[in-house]
Amino acid sequence: MVEDRLLIWKFKLGNRNALRRIYEKYKNDLLKLAIALTNDVNTAEDVVQDAFVGFAQSAARIKTSGNLKKYLATCVANRIRNRKRDRQRHEASGIDDSDCVISDSKRPEQWAILSEEMELLSDAMAQIPYEQREVVGLYMQGGMTFRQIAKVQNASINTIQGRYRYGLNKLRSILNSEV
Amino acid sequence: MKSIDNVKKFFKNAAISTNPSMDETVLDKVLIAHEKTTNTKSAVIEPNIRRTIMKNPIIKLAAAAVIISLVVLGLFEFIGTENTSGVVWADVVKKVEASRGSVVRCREKNSFQPSDETDYSITYTSPRHSRKDFYKGGQITQTYYDDFSGVETVTITGVYHIHKHYLSDTYKKSSNEFFLEKHEDWMNPRYLVQRVLAGEHRNLGQKTIDGVLCEGIETTDPAALGPLPGPINRLEVEFRLWVDVQTKYPVLFESKMSGEAEGKSMESEWVLDEFQWDVELDPSFLEPNIPPDYVDIRTL
Repeated sequence: MVEDRLLIWKFKLGNRNALRRIYEKYKNDLLKLAIALTNDVNTAEDVVQDAFVGFAQSAARIKTSGNLKKYLATCVANRIRNRKRDRQRHEASGIDDSDCVISDSKRPEQWAILSEEMELLSDAMAQIPYEQREVVGLYMQGGMTFRQIAKVQNASINTIQGRYRYGLNKLRSILNSEV
Repeated sequence: MKSIDNVKKFFKNAAISTNPSMDETVLDKVLIAHEKTTNTKSAVIEPNIRRTIMKNPIIKLAAAAVIISLVVLGLFEFIGTENTSGVVWADVVKKVEASRGSVVRCREKNSFQPSDETDYSITYTSPRHSRKDFYKGGQITQTYYDDFSGVETVTITGVYHIHKHYLSDTYKKSSNEFFLEKHEDWMNPRYLVQRVLAGEHRNLGQKTIDGVLCEGIETTDPAALGPLPGPINRLEVEFRLWVDVQTKYPVLFESKMSGEAEGKSMESEWVLDEFQWDVELDPSFLEPNIPPDYVDIRTL
C-alpha cells in the first residue's frame, strides 16, 4: 500500500505526524486482535500500548518494503506470547505473579470500548486452545497469510491450516450455543 | 450461526472503539518514546501524502475534493441552459470536454495538514494522464504523476525532490485504497452533472475578474458530491464557478467544505485559478521523470 509505505518513510525521517497517523489507523485493529487473543481488556490495552511504544523506538530498523499492519499484528502476538510464557514460568516457580500481569503504565480509564458482539467473540475465543486462537486472530484480524503465521508459530503450513480449521469450527459451535 | 462464513462475518463485524481522552494519553506516551529515540530532526517539507491518509471518510473526502473540484467544472451541463444573460452552461461543458489538455493552479487550506508544506500546486491534465507539481518558495518540492490509461489499473508515481526519493505503484481501480479511483465515475463530468441536478443551485450573475467579464453559478447542496466514502455528519459544501462570458471557459473555481466523521471535524478550502484550456501537452511531460540519483523508497 502506497499510503503505508509513505507513512513508514515519513516516520523513518522523524515525522511525528506520520507516527500519529499510523497510531490512529491501526489502534482499533490491534486492540481487537489483542482482546481476541487475551480475553482481557486491561492486558490487551497494555500490550497494544507497548507495541506502539516499541514501534516508535524502532524507526531505524523498520523497512519501508514491509507490510505495516502485519508487522504490528506480529508485534502484538509476540508480546502476548511472551507474557504468557513469563506467566507460566512464574507459576511453575511457585511465585505468586499477581503483580506481574499488571502493567507498570496504569491508565486512569478504559481505553477500548467493546461492542456486545466483540465481548461475545472475546469470550468465545477464550474457549479455544491458544495456538488455534492465535492462528484465527492473525488470519482474520491481522490479515496474515498461513505461510506468515507458520513462521510466527514455527510450524508447518499444514499445521497452521489445521489449527485454523479446528479453531473456526470450535468458534462456530461455541457461538451457536451463545448467540 | 450455521456456517463458517457466518463466523467469519461475525468476527469481522465485532466492533471496537476507543475512548478519545485515553487515545491522547496513549499517543502522548508513544510520541515521547519516539522523541527520546530519534532526536527528531526538523521535517524538511516532507511529502504531502495526498488523497488518502486515514480511514476517516472526512479526510478521504477532503483529500479527494480538489480533484473533484476539477471535475465539477463540467457539472453544470443542464443548469440554466435557458440563461439569457450571457453564458449558456451547456456550451461551457462542451468546451471543457473538448479541451485537449488543461493547466490550473490550486491553492488549498485544510484543517488536517500543515499549511506550511506547500504554497500552491500546478496540475496538468490530459484525458489519460495528469501531473501535479507542488511548490514551496518558488521551488518544486514534489511531483505526482497519475496514469489512468490502464483499463483496470491506475499508476501513481510520487517524486520527492528534497529527499531525492520516489515511489511508484499500480492499483486496481476497483480496489478500496483510493476513494476517487474506486469511484471512476467521479472523473466523469456527465455523472457529476446528474449529481448537481439533484441539488439546489443559483446563478450569481456577472462580475469582472482580473479584467475579464465572468458569470458565476453556485451550489451549496452536498448532493453535488455524489456517493461519499463513508458516513459524514454536518457536511457543508459551497462551490462557485466563474466562467469567461466570451470564451466560455472557466476562470475561477472556489470551494469550501466542512464536515465531521468518526469524531473528527474537517474544514477545507480551495481556489483554482490561472486556468489554461485546450493546451496541447507534450506526452513526455506527463510521464514520470525520475532523476538517476533518486532512490526508491521501498529500498530504504
